[in-house]
Amino acid sequence: MIPAAAELPWIVVIPVCLLLLAGSGLTLIGAFGLLRLNSFYARVHAPTLGTSYGMGCILLASMLFFSVLQTRLVIHELAIGAFVILTTPVTLMLVARAAIHRDRLEGKDAIPRAARPD
Amino acid sequence: MHDAIYLLAAVLLPYLGAVVAALLPANARLLAWLAGCVALATLAMVGLGFAAIEAGGLPRFDLAWAPELGLSFSLRMDGFAGLFAFMVSGIGVLIVLYARYYMSPEDPIPRFFAFLLAFMGSMMGVVLSGNLIQLVFFWELTSLFSFLLIGYWQNVAAARNGARMALTVTAGGGLALFAGVLILGHIVGSYELDAVLASGEAIRAHPLYLPALVLILLGAMTKSAQFPFHFWLPHAMAAPTPVSAYLHSATLVKAGIFLMARLWPVLAGTDAWFNILCPVGLITLLLGAYVAIFQHDMKALLAYSTISHLGLITLLLSLNSDLAMVAAVFHTVNHATFKASLFMAAGIIDHETGTRDIRRLSGLNESMPFTARLALVAAAAMAGVPLLNGFISKEMFFSEALTVATATSVLHGILPVAATLASILAVTYSLRFIHGAFFGPPVDDLPKQPHEPPQFMRVPVEVLVFLCIVVGILPSATIGPLLDKAVRALLGDATPSYSLAVWHGFNLPLAMSLVALAGGIALYRLLYRHLNAGLEGTPLLGFLDGRRAFEQVMVFISWRFARALVRLMATDRLQIQLMLMVCTALLAATLALLPHGLAAGDVALTAVDPVVAIIWAVGGACAIAAAYQAKYHRLAALVLLGSTGLATCLTFIWFSAPDLALTQLLVEIVTTVLLLLGLRWMPRRIETAGSGAPLARLRRLRDFVIAAVSGLGLAAISYAMMTRVSPDGISREFLTRAYKEGGGTNVVNVILVDFRGFDTMGEITVLGVVALTVFALLRRFRPAPESVGVPDQQQGDARDWLLVPSVTMRLLFPVIIAVSIYLLLRGHDQPGGGFIAGLMLAVGILVQYMAGGTRWVEDHLRVLPLRWMGFGLLLAVGTGVAATVFGRPFLTSYFAYADLGPLGKLPLASAVIFDLGVFALVFGATVLILIVLAHQSVRSQRAAPPPPPVEALREPAIAGED
Repeated sequence: MIPAAAELPWIVVIPVCLLLLAGSGLTLIGAFGLLRLNSFYARVHAPTLGTSYGMGCILLASMLFFSVLQTRLVIHELAIGAFVILTTPVTLMLVARAAIHRDRLEGKDAIPRAARPD
Repeated sequence: MHDAIYLLAAVLLPYLGAVVAALLPANARLLAWLAGCVALATLAMVGLGFAAIEAGGLPRFDLAWAPELGLSFSLRMDGFAGLFAFMVSGIGVLIVLYARYYMSPEDPIPRFFAFLLAFMGSMMGVVLSGNLIQLVFFWELTSLFSFLLIGYWQNVAAARNGARMALTVTAGGGLALFAGVLILGHIVGSYELDAVLASGEAIRAHPLYLPALVLILLGAMTKSAQFPFHFWLPHAMAAPTPVSAYLHSATLVKAGIFLMARLWPVLAGTDAWFNILCPVGLITLLLGAYVAIFQHDMKALLAYSTISHLGLITLLLSLNSDLAMVAAVFHTVNHATFKASLFMAAGIIDHETGTRDIRRLSGLNESMPFTARLALVAAAAMAGVPLLNGFISKEMFFSEALTVATATSVLHGILPVAATLASILAVTYSLRFIHGAFFGPPVDDLPKQPHEPPQFMRVPVEVLVFLCIVVGILPSATIGPLLDKAVRALLGDATPSYSLAVWHGFNLPLAMSLVALAGGIALYRLLYRHLNAGLEGTPLLGFLDGRRAFEQVMVFISWRFARALVRLMATDRLQIQLMLMVCTALLAATLALLPHGLAAGDVALTAVDPVVAIIWAVGGACAIAAAYQAKYHRLAALVLLGSTGLATCLTFIWFSAPDLALTQLLVEIVTTVLLLLGLRWMPRRIETAGSGAPLARLRRLRDFVIAAVSGLGLAAISYAMMTRVSPDGISREFLTRAYKEGGGTNVVNVILVDFRGFDTMGEITVLGVVALTVFALLRRFRPAPESVGVPDQQQGDARDWLLVPSVTMRLLFPVIIAVSIYLLLRGHDQPGGGFIAGLMLAVGILVQYMAGGTRWVEDHLRVLPLRWMGFGLLLAVGTGVAATVFGRPFLTSYFAYADLGPLGKLPLASAVIFDLGVFALVFGATVLILIVLAHQSVRSQRAAPPPPPVEALREPAIAGED
């Protein structure tokens, strides 16, 4: 597959490369954010860069690349995108809520009280 | 072929009847009809066999079973086997008829008849076996079914104990017999009975003759209740009376006699044979008769009298005389008839009066005169009164005792005296049986008002008593031909001429008989007062308590000895076990490598790919970190472990193994979730600064060194292996044949479900077993006291917070199901398959449990994992068996293309059905584990009881130890 890739026209190769670079760059920034940001609640936001736009760019690149390479429409990346978009926010939400729950139980000051009085 | 049918039927019909009886409803009449017909049919088969023998043939049937091991399933019926088969089936018929009226409607009748028929089949198997290994097999089956029969009244402690004792003694003897038979087969070079019987000289001359003899006799003596193994028989009297009548007259205890007589032509004739068997038989004969006198329970009296008669037969067999052999066979038949009828008479008395205690019974002659007459005749036969069958065989015994007494040895010399003494005792206990129960003044304080039993309950006794009389008066016209065939089958041309006449003129044996009769009556008169005093126990022999000795031995073996062994050899600490295991493996590998060394191979390496290198570096780091964190930060360790798994998974993808990668991914997910669920029950552990004494540090260092050396060593060996050219294995064959012969293009899957289908079947079975084990262990799981309470994480109110995830996951559930089915269906040609699909579906359920909670899921969806597992296993086995129906080996797969017209061709392989079985089992097993873990959180927990006090021997726990 790699030798065949060399024969692709530049008009396809350049967008694919740009999309890949953009996607991986966004994901890398997200990873740095995860490493560098201060509080847990801030850190939670960082990887979303990778799972939204970053992933989108890479999937687009993949679709473009394989569609041209195999001279047919390859769009099953859309399913990957749909599942990731569906599950990642939910996961992060769960993680964040677990953190809030724990912080509340431990009585940390920076956490707002429960929104609804129970 | 004709032989084959009735021989097979004679053994298999009772088993078939047993299965049918077990399935029928508890209707005594129906079951008795069934059992009676089966027993009659078996008897008819034996009759056919006799017809064939009469025609001069030797009915036999052989079926190659494992010919390369010299094992075949063979049945053969000569005159001797026929005689026993006749007794087993004939008395079986009578017992069934008797049991029909004896058993109470409250008893579980189907179980009784099922066991009885199965026991009958086993006995037929023993007597008709033409192969010694097969004989031992049926022998052990008789032990097993007699255990079930003796313990039939499971709620009675005496029945349970008696059954266990009988099983321990007879099955233990069976093991000795097995060893002896193996030696015998080794000497002869074949386990076929014909071959063994033909090489008597070689066997007796062989140096291994004595061990073989001792082991085989151990088997026979335990089965036939010979001293010192006789103690189990009286305790087996806790069985229902029909069982006692059957087991202790014609069948179980006669199996030992059968074996000794069967092998008599090859094993007997030596001094060893005589010196072992003669004292044993003599002691059994006298001891049994003496103890029988002092029994108050009618059945116990009969039990000891049975022991005594078995001793008599053993004694006859031990004499190395052909005539004694004839007498032994004859007495075996006679004893079966009169003892069965006596047991049944005792059962009738028990049934109609409510007690079997001779001290309480008296004067039954008036209320049940007919039964009294029958019992009287049978008891007279037992005592050896003239004109009854017992008399004739006893006469033969006397004359044999007199014949051998001419030899010089002391043992020979005392035989006539001992024989007379035993006969005196026999007359005494027979008198006690009859006089105690039927004569004297009638009593009216019995539990039930005595009266005659139902007419048909008496029929079996009538038949047997009639036989006693007919054989006693006209021996040569009745039993003569049968006996002749039996003896000829054993002795062949050496058969001596013997006379079965009642009257031999005035001779010494007749005088001995008269002395015995007179002496017996006198002794009974002498002991009358003592016996009626109602004292328990046997005078002079009170110290001989077989049961206590047995129990002491059992306690020693199963308790003290076992405990000592456990203390010596076992540890319940996982760490030490693991360390020993790893060290042993390390040592073995080192020893294997020492002579050759370990060097890298000479395959040219490809350049290091930076991507793989990074993935591996991350994976390795995660693994080390997981090990580092495992003690105090389990959650972190688990996450790191998952990352290691992902690294492995990516490696598989990189090296183009999508099947492996998919499996690895799903296994990682399921394992992580299940471990997470399990973490909740682990006791909390808090790291303290500078933990551990120097000793503990040293120990940890040692463990670290062991772990590092083992791990690195394994890596080194793997490296050395992989850098060598692998020998031309079968993998290329798989590749070329997968499509041609397996009908699939996914070679991995074709290997799993077709080429190595048998392996897969074993694996899924193991998986099922593991799941059931986890289920069983967790069902009674008791957490440590500190983890019982609700953990901190579950405090507070966070119920609604799972709403969004649970909705999402619910939406995803159908998608997961669809993907799972997709993976299953395409598995034969593309990455996927039953295992992966099963895990996938399990993940779907897992997600539902996590998101919705156990209660919610089970309100909406009942997964029945056990049914899935059973269905899967049956499907897999069924697919395999289906191949044999078409004449192919087990698990051969079949494939074809279905023509769907415009839709094209659809490949269909039977392996897909097998894969469906794998799918169902994997799914069921995984979900079963999930569900038991989930239920831990639902049910209310009780803390584990505090640990038992630390034993003195156990070393004190070291601080910081796991």
